[in-house]
Amino acid sequence: MFGVHHIPFRVDTNDISVQVIPGDAFSTYTRTSPGEKVTKQLGYREGKVIINPVEPVNLPKEVTGMLEFHFLPVTLSPGSTITLYLKFPVEIGVFVGDDENYTLIDVFSRAPAKYSLYGTPEKGFITRHVESEVYDSAPSSNPLEEGVMTLSIKNSSRDWIEVSRAVFDVSMMRLFYGNTAVMMGEMEIISRLIAITRISGTPPGDGMSTALRVYPTRKSLIPEKLFFMMEYGVGD
Amino acid sequence: MVWVTDVAFEYLNSAIIGTVTVLDLVIFGISVLVTVAIAKVIGFYFKKSFSDRVEQGELEFLIKVIQGLIIVIGIYLALPSFDINLADMLVVGGTIGLVVAFASQKIVSNFGSGLFLIIERPIKPGDSINIGSVSGTVEEIRILSTIIKTYEGIYVRIPNEKVFTSDITNYVANVARRFEYSIGISYQSDAERAIRIVRGLLEKEPFVLRHPAPSVFVDTLGDSSVNLRVFIWAPSRVWWSVRTEMLWTIKKALEDAGIEIPFPQRVVTFSQPTGGAVPGSRGQEHD
Repeated sequence: MFGVHHIPFRVDTNDISVQVIPGDAFSTYTRTSPGEKVTKQLGYREGKVIINPVEPVNLPKEVTGMLEFHFLPVTLSPGSTITLYLKFPVEIGVFVGDDENYTLIDVFSRAPAKYSLYGTPEKGFITRHVESEVYDSAPSSNPLEEGVMTLSIKNSSRDWIEVSRAVFDVSMMRLFYGNTAVMMGEMEIISRLIAITRISGTPPGDGMSTALRVYPTRKSLIPEKLFFMMEYGVGD
Repeated sequence: MVWVTDVAFEYLNSAIIGTVTVLDLVIFGISVLVTVAIAKVIGFYFKKSFSDRVEQGELEFLIKVIQGLIIVIGIYLALPSFDINLADMLVVGGTIGLVVAFASQKIVSNFGSGLFLIIERPIKPGDSINIGSVSGTVEEIRILSTIIKTYEGIYVRIPNEKVFTSDITNYVANVARRFEYSIGISYQSDAERAIRIVRGLLEKEPFVLRHPAPSVFVDTLGDSSVNLRVFIWAPSRVWWSVRTEMLWTIKKALEDAGIEIPFPQRVVTFSQPTGGAVPGSRGQEHD
């Protein structure tokens, strides 16, 4: 399903179907997934449609730009670094346009959404809540439902730290896709309360394509962040 | 014709206040009008260029600041047409300012309050708020007054002084907020099962926050029902739709599960003396 499709086309995967059928003056986009059917008119008969995994913070409607992972606590010794793998829910975006100037026409997901609060109601952040097991090697996943985040955690503090949360800002999120959707996260723990998270923009390997993102289509004047500072703790 | 031109020229050069002539006033007026027009045009282009990139409330605020600056600069540049010494003007202006302040205390107070509202920002355009007896959405914060659109769609203008000195409740200032339900089920129904059903529904709803976790518990044993209390945290931006939708979803799910939500009821037992009921006798009432 993921990739560039030229009008006309139809892709069927499991219970999801996406098609664009050209008419006399314009094309008709139709997506059917369990319990939902979306139809839109595109004002042209030729062109390309890009389908790829996007930042998982858009459904059922956009209320936040933060993604929060919860996982079984991992204890780190002072100065140590580990790499672990987490799963995250995939949202699938459908774009029209080209690599430089594109817009999102549809986004859908087979994974249920859940939101949470990181920090206090006054100064905290609403987050898309993701609960994941911790894997020591890249787990297999259904690319239409789950992606895999490679999370490298460095404990820069002088204490033993138990970490079970990682929060990322969507503006720095970069996804790659091939057989599965992938993100490459980094987390540097400063103390039990403070950590800095980043997401790498470098593809994890050959054969992986860079996914178009939803965030630039919002054309916000707020600059993209290079990192996010977690100030409300790294554990439960 | 020449005579008319001479008269007009003479009139324009006639001093009306000190050395300030009518021509000076006309030039000043035109300068200010041009400045205001430029400010309007720039505001229009800002709105056109950035409306899809900046939140509407923020954009309005930004445009007002820029327009204000342009007008102040325009007035400053137009002042030399009066041939006024700025140092003298500061002294005179200060005196006039004091006089004006005393004469128009309310206006100055509203102006000051408006400035503090803009700086402190307890409310922003688009926020759901309550000020005194007025509830609604903030439409605009002007320099002298704040415009509220009530939930019934009615325009309300509140002087900024009143806004500033009133208790303000901003329902969306925090990113998340809590709301609650009280749900009565019959004494015959299984309260633990009802709690499990409600928890299951809360788990499925995306915008019922995982943390802080919702809580469902038996709160009171009422006259007609066992009362469950449900506390839910939701993002402030969507809490109202979550609140209205979840309540009906819970009601339907409990009914589908055969859990009764009873009407208020009272059991009345009549004493039965030997020989049958006595017309007009008083019964014993039990709640």
